[in-house]
Amino acid sequence: MFELFTLFFIQRALLIGAVIAIVSGLIGPFIIYRKMSFIGVGISHGTFSGIAFGILLGVSPLPVAIIFAVGLGIFIGFTSRTGKISEDVSIGILFSFAMALGIFLISLSSGYHADIMGYLFGDILAISNNDLYLAIGVLGSVVLWYTLRSRQMKYMTFDEDFAKIAGVPVGIDYYIFMALISLSIVVIVNFVGVILASSIIIAPAASAKSMVKKFSSIVVLSIVLAELSILSGIIFSYNLNISSGPSIVFFVTFVFILSLFYRKIKNFKVKNR
Amino acid sequence: MIRVDSLSVRYDNFEALSIPFLTIEGGKFHAIIGPNGGGKTTFIKALVGLLPYEGTIEIDGMDHKRYLKKNSIGYLAQRGSQFSQFPITALEVVEMGRYRFKESAHIRRKKALEFLKVLEMEKFVQKNINELSGGQQQRILMARALATESKILILDEPLTGMDPKAQSLFYDMIKRIKDSFKLTVIMSSHDVGFISEYADNVICINKELVPHDESAKILSCAEFAQLYGPKIGIVEHHHLHSEKDDV
Repeated sequence: MFELFTLFFIQRALLIGAVIAIVSGLIGPFIIYRKMSFIGVGISHGTFSGIAFGILLGVSPLPVAIIFAVGLGIFIGFTSRTGKISEDVSIGILFSFAMALGIFLISLSSGYHADIMGYLFGDILAISNNDLYLAIGVLGSVVLWYTLRSRQMKYMTFDEDFAKIAGVPVGIDYYIFMALISLSIVVIVNFVGVILASSIIIAPAASAKSMVKKFSSIVVLSIVLAELSILSGIIFSYNLNISSGPSIVFFVTFVFILSLFYRKIKNFKVKNR
Repeated sequence: MIRVDSLSVRYDNFEALSIPFLTIEGGKFHAIIGPNGGGKTTFIKALVGLLPYEGTIEIDGMDHKRYLKKNSIGYLAQRGSQFSQFPITALEVVEMGRYRFKESAHIRRKKALEFLKVLEMEKFVQKNINELSGGQQQRILMARALATESKILILDEPLTGMDPKAQSLFYDMIKRIKDSFKLTVIMSSHDVGFISEYADNVICINKELVPHDESAKILSCAEFAQLYGPKIGIVEHHHLHSEKDDV
């Protein structure tokens, strides 16, 4: 069983997996409490149109995907903040448009693209060194953001009106947050694909929220649960020779279901005390 | 002192509030009364900087927007619309009020604790605010408003959901806080009975400023009808005042 850990591509996947676990654990709880869970779906689909545009242009899809994802994230943020269209409506429209645009652009490009399935459902064999560098760069940005701005984010997430009155630059902090979500989604899309990306950022945080009460504990537990799910998913996919993306998503969802049982049992014990 | 001149607040093309001129004297308790949808919250949100407006607001002779860039206003939002389910301790909530102060985390905590003590909430320091009762939450949010060290305290219908005894205790608390911190208090309320007993001045708003006798804290029947409509039944409170026309 341990022979897989000697394989270079598995080592690289585990490293990116660890990066994703930390990034999801730091960002995910804020997404959950700000009721923005749908945003991962919107941005990951936006990433697909960026990838397709990169393929059409014959350049590396990664930088184009970053531009599309960050652009879409900030656009969704702008439409919801200006209050003209609600966040879920703009995501609901934009994510199917982004997907349609992606398929349209790919059909315009000549030749057969076997890697499209990899972009849609993830393929750890396709992870390159550039993906690893991007992941480490995003990890650095997210850790720096968390160190410098998590207090402001807590205030904003708890009570945005008062945070504004108290002097927190809520607009700037919101757009920084949206840009970091977008960058994180690009890294996750590389790992588990467009279709499955949002669950990695949401499910571990949702599971942790069901199990512990303190915010700092939710963050730590989110990281641990995401890491365990990713590790289990990779081992499972290697042993069963199946795609890693769905395998990881099975585990994050399984952990989420377990967390719901855990909460039920805990509540039952409290009631019968 | 707060000076309001030609204030107009619009939602899209609809004018929600229009106040030609109003001065709010410093160091006093001002009550804002008016019907639901009459613009009380709109006025308060414009005052604390949460809503854009046309016209002029000055605070202590300084332009409102410039004032808000440098100062926070102590603000207690309407009950039920105050905060999310985010897990945050009472101490952290009060620390929010200290955001503008350039002080170490240690001093920030110490100051926040002092304000929690003023509201007799120090035993809930490490409690998640969402696990406390409505009354306890209200006190912690009041401690947060005081922690801004603003000389203006604005309360948006803080009495919603309180029984008369709790209302009376709340008014006593506001009066005590106003006197000990030398604050200007502006408080909106549906209640036109209790509030007249405590407030120094009553501001009547129904989409626009409804003028009334400045010297009187009690509204006449005509003024009351202008504010709430002629079909509202009027109950006389003889223990408060004796004139038949008064409300």
